[in-house]
Amino acid sequence: MGEIRKAAVIGAGTMGAAIAAQFANAGVPVFLLDIVPAGAKTRNALAEGAIAKMLKTDPAPFMSKGAARLVTPGNIEDDLGKLADVDWIVEAIVERLDIKQDLYRKIETVRKPGCAVSSNTSTIPLAKLVEGLGAGFARDFVITHFFNPPRYMRLLELVSGAGTDAGLAADVERFADVRLGKTIVRTKDSPGFIANRLGVYWLMLGVIEAIDAGLDIEDADAVMSKPLGIPKTGVFGLIDLVGLDLMPHINASLGATLPAGDAFHAANRDVPLIKKMIADGYIGRKGKGGFYRRGEKGREAIDLASGEYRAVRKANLPEAELKLGKLLGLDSKAARYAWRVLGQTLSYAASLVGDAADDIGAIDAAMRLGYNWRWGPFELIDLIGAEALAAKLAKDGFAVPAFLAAAKGKKFYRLQGGAREYLGADGAYHALTRAEGVLLLEDVKRAGKPVLKNSSASVWDVGDGVLCFEYTSKSNSLDAQNLELLNQTIDLVPKAHRALVIYNEGQNFSAGANLGLALFAANIAAWGEIEKLVAAGHTIYKKLKYAPFPTVAAPFGMALGGGCEILLHSSAVQAHAEAYIGLVECGVGLVPAWGGCSEMLARWAAHPKMPHGPMPAASKVFEIVSTATVSKSAAEAKEYLFLRADDGISMNRDRLLADAKARALSLVEGYVPPVPPTYKLPGVSGAVSMGIAADDFRRKGVATTYDMVVAGELAGVLSGGDADIIDEVTEARILELERAAFIRLIKNPGTLARIETMLTTGKPLRN
Amino acid sequence: MQTYNAPLRDMRFVLHELHGAAPLPGQEEFTQELADTILEEAAKFCTEVLLPLNAPGDVEGCHYENGVVRTPAGFKDAYKGFTESGWGALNAAQKYGGQGAPETVAKLVEEMICSTNLSFGLYPGLTHGASLALESHGSDELKDFYLPKMVSGEWSGTMCLTEPHCGTDLGLLRTKAVPQGDGSYRISGAKIFISAGEHDLTENIIHLVLARLPDAPAGVKGISLFLVPKFLPDADGRPGVRNGVSCAAIEHKMGLKASATCQLNFDDATGWIVGAPHRGMQAMFVMMNSERLSVGTQGLGIGETAYQSAVAYAKDRLQGRSLSGVKYPDKAADPLIVHPDIRRMLLTMRANNEGCRALCVWVAQAMDRAALAADPVERAEAEEFVALLTPVVKALFTDLGFESANLAIQTYGGHGYIRDHGVEQLARDSRIAMIYEGTNGVQALDLVGRKLPANMGRSLRRFFHPVSEFIEANSNHPLLGKMVQGYARGFGALQLATAFIAEKGLSDPEEAGAAATDYLRLFGLVALGFMWVRAAVLAVEKLGGTEDEFYGAKIGTARFFMERILPQAGALLFTIKAGKASLMDMEEAAF
Repeated sequence: MGEIRKAAVIGAGTMGAAIAAQFANAGVPVFLLDIVPAGAKTRNALAEGAIAKMLKTDPAPFMSKGAARLVTPGNIEDDLGKLADVDWIVEAIVERLDIKQDLYRKIETVRKPGCAVSSNTSTIPLAKLVEGLGAGFARDFVITHFFNPPRYMRLLELVSGAGTDAGLAADVERFADVRLGKTIVRTKDSPGFIANRLGVYWLMLGVIEAIDAGLDIEDADAVMSKPLGIPKTGVFGLIDLVGLDLMPHINASLGATLPAGDAFHAANRDVPLIKKMIADGYIGRKGKGGFYRRGEKGREAIDLASGEYRAVRKANLPEAELKLGKLLGLDSKAARYAWRVLGQTLSYAASLVGDAADDIGAIDAAMRLGYNWRWGPFELIDLIGAEALAAKLAKDGFAVPAFLAAAKGKKFYRLQGGAREYLGADGAYHALTRAEGVLLLEDVKRAGKPVLKNSSASVWDVGDGVLCFEYTSKSNSLDAQNLELLNQTIDLVPKAHRALVIYNEGQNFSAGANLGLALFAANIAAWGEIEKLVAAGHTIYKKLKYAPFPTVAAPFGMALGGGCEILLHSSAVQAHAEAYIGLVECGVGLVPAWGGCSEMLARWAAHPKMPHGPMPAASKVFEIVSTATVSKSAAEAKEYLFLRADDGISMNRDRLLADAKARALSLVEGYVPPVPPTYKLPGVSGAVSMGIAADDFRRKGVATTYDMVVAGELAGVLSGGDADIIDEVTEARILELERAAFIRLIKNPGTLARIETMLTTGKPLRN
Repeated sequence: MQTYNAPLRDMRFVLHELHGAAPLPGQEEFTQELADTILEEAAKFCTEVLLPLNAPGDVEGCHYENGVVRTPAGFKDAYKGFTESGWGALNAAQKYGGQGAPETVAKLVEEMICSTNLSFGLYPGLTHGASLALESHGSDELKDFYLPKMVSGEWSGTMCLTEPHCGTDLGLLRTKAVPQGDGSYRISGAKIFISAGEHDLTENIIHLVLARLPDAPAGVKGISLFLVPKFLPDADGRPGVRNGVSCAAIEHKMGLKASATCQLNFDDATGWIVGAPHRGMQAMFVMMNSERLSVGTQGLGIGETAYQSAVAYAKDRLQGRSLSGVKYPDKAADPLIVHPDIRRMLLTMRANNEGCRALCVWVAQAMDRAALAADPVERAEAEEFVALLTPVVKALFTDLGFESANLAIQTYGGHGYIRDHGVEQLARDSRIAMIYEGTNGVQALDLVGRKLPANMGRSLRRFFHPVSEFIEANSNHPLLGKMVQGYARGFGALQLATAFIAEKGLSDPEEAGAAATDYLRLFGLVALGFMWVRAAVLAVEKLGGTEDEFYGAKIGTARFFMERILPQAGALLFTIKAGKASLMDMEEAAF
């Protein structure tokens, strides 16, 4: 198969269409085909409709408008011939063997040899799918099981059959990893693979054990989340999210295909309440609600016994705040529930080794990535202790699988010489290897000690003369400590290293300065401290920008405010595709004051498509910053110039550090720091015209009274203060304007109210 | 002899000059002239009627016999005079027959009462607190029926919280209330430490009692408030049938002997609920917050008498010679006041008293604003300010009041320790103020645990911002620049301590608990310092007129405060930053 230049997805349902979108996000042209619907006006109605719908979907399946143009709609009657030219065909049609095989036969008539064919089935074994289709088809066939939504869910289960060509499977894996950004978990050709089989078992147990225990769903979800490292949706919230209507299908399929002795059957109980809910249209969030719904007076929860809705109670369970070990040692209704569900789930997970997957790493990865669990089942068992778990299971009459019993006295994962090893089905430890080319800071940290460290940041040697600067503060917020460590790092790099990468492995790259600290400092009138912090940010970011070595920042998730400004001051950026970048200061009543204004002005002024004169660039930056614009992807960040056109994008999160390091090393040879820009700015008249634009928004009701105050300060900075059009304004002057505007705003009660609301509710205050 | 002349000049300074402001809506009639007249009349009543009863009342104490309590000789007449002159109704709502005077004026009157006879002051003080709770949470029916008589002082009030096994921790409270179906409740239980629980000053006593309903949840969220009269009034509002509440004994106390502190038994007593079921603590807190400020005023009142008595003695008593040479060669010895250490004590008392008076009126003014300002934002901000400063005023003022009484005794020497001069009474009377209405330790916890973190620290702005603005505006003051800069260092210590507690206390509540008392004192000193630095800047402008003696002394006392008291801020900051380790590391068994 080799390189994949073109692809096709057949089946324009939610999954198929979104898989096509992800190919397009990777820059690969893709056909999206479906049947010609009876009575449709246009023959491509299904694919066209799916694309149109995706353009309106939030969260968006497409990373950019350009990506959407790479998807070509079509239908399998007229466009079958087009498949002759593609390198990978993904089938994502209805879960019926006969219909799938019919389609495969049609594909066989046109596809070129070596073109991979994969099915997105979640229930039909591969052996059944290829039966009777010939060795040639089987050789090129795999199952690629994407999770919904495919752009955002990192898990991809890959199944190859006995007849599958290993080279082709490896090519598919490599492409899905590097280009589609997925983490590939290889599973065996067994029903439900890993994630659905174990996950559905857990969800069903979660439901029936709550019913049996007479536990309210709020309590069940509360205890089934935080202590276990599971998202706060717990069991019932998650079922609402995925859709109640999917449950009976998957249950029936697993029930029909799993062998008689499988533990799943005991959990696969008929739940009349769920049946009734589905019949009444309560299929979850996509419908009119599920276990939870929006009532007239706010959120409501269903009573499991009566089936009636009532107001949601705030779960006030001390159990939900406990650590796992403490929780399992407790004998209360909620603790018993957590134990019964978790204990049986972990037992089931242990029984899947050798059945659904060869090793525990695959099972853990599937649950972490497929369900956003913080720990996989075997990591959870290590927290409890295999021996303690086995004893507790036996005491309560639950099965103790042989693999678990054999782990007595051992850990499933251990550290050996700084590297992680896992316990194999053979009872021996094996090195835990990453996919080729993956470099994780997690591994670097396990193997060594930081080069520098303080309470808010660390610096690591990632090899080849490259240092990695890592935020370690809460939520990676920026504070005086990590600024100071960055300062020290800039001094350190030239001494024995060649380049710097700014990267971390938290939830987000950085959501900006620590607002709580800023608000607190403002509350106690510590203006001197605030001014010091603003000045420190200025000095250190500029020092970084003009340092004699290249710096590559590697954002992922949110990079906001000060977290965006550090990108603007780096020599280059290597961004994860899912990077949400923006200067959001105006939302909390401030202006960017660590060089965000000066850098954005310079970028837009230098943009080749900008009209000449001092006004257009200033206006453009005003438009982006005053509305606190955040890009919805790295690709979109380029449109706002938060990223440069030649900044790199990594599709796979796990490859970000390696890509950033490579980029940094590529810049070392002959690196010359940038020359400070000078500016031509419109001055007072420019500020006035920006003010008029903002006032127009206010009259339309889009902008608020206090937005006008903030916009006024921003306009003052971006127009260069009292600059004259013929003057050259220096970078230092703009920084001075940024700082003065920031200090004026943070002393304003309007700004303090915004910050306070943001911190307490997580929502912006529109005062 | 207890010496007391009402400090009317300083009161006018604080009221009109330091905190002078346009009258609030509804208080327009309380002009500067009227306020001065009220203060003068109050001064007259307090010095002529209450002060002469103070020492004899302490000696005689209250009498208990068969459930009946008699106050010391003269108290009944004094109370009659007090109510007839309308002092009890001074700052009560006009709707119920009160005069609606500003809190600022009322607090100064309270100060004079506390200076001259704290025991006496408790009777009307509790009535006022109970009226407030009833007014803010009671039904219209209850209010219309009871409030006019409580406001006029015909009937008195109490607050019944403490039980034998629960004081600070009201969650343990056991007194029961059973609904009767006719809207009334039957209250049963034992209460102790009830001030003015039984006495002979009024024809009826209205108890506000915390109790639990049968379906009440455990803890403080299951407490309701009830109104239980000593005599059930008849339809005309005359005291009728005796209710099931009786006084089992009165406490024998260290001080405040003329105030009856009672053990009350409620035995199926009839009562009515005040506010919503299980929401008694909210209603009680209205009363408690107002009471806490009043208790702070008690500390100030005693401190003033202590100071004046000590000054009189220090000028009169001849003992030893000045260290810099004989000052009064014609006398056998120089008066005490020539000695630096005597002056240290006198100035400490004076600086604390005048500082507390200024701070008291600042907070009282915010109480008026919180209630009456036209702008809702101003009302809310004033409310936050009062909430923040309430624990500071309560604990700081009562600590300093006791400290002053102690210094007065020290000034007197052996003559302070014996009864004849009456200054040891001040120490005994003031000691309870550090304990009741929430111990000063609890006030400190309230400050660091509730007031600091509330609304992400928003309340702090109400104090820190005006201080910061003042410093910024005056640090280059031509005459007082150095004083302002010195004050700024104390303020800086408070900022650092606040940041330290916010950071440490967030992750470890015990750290906040360990810092609490020192932090409250630091906060209090910086607040007093703010009053002093403002007073000094104001006084400097007035020099050269006809009152140079007054303003000169103001500036001199301000200087003393800045140079000899405020530096404690630095030591307190060190103490706070030492953290909890030395408190908590010691094994319990080692104690």
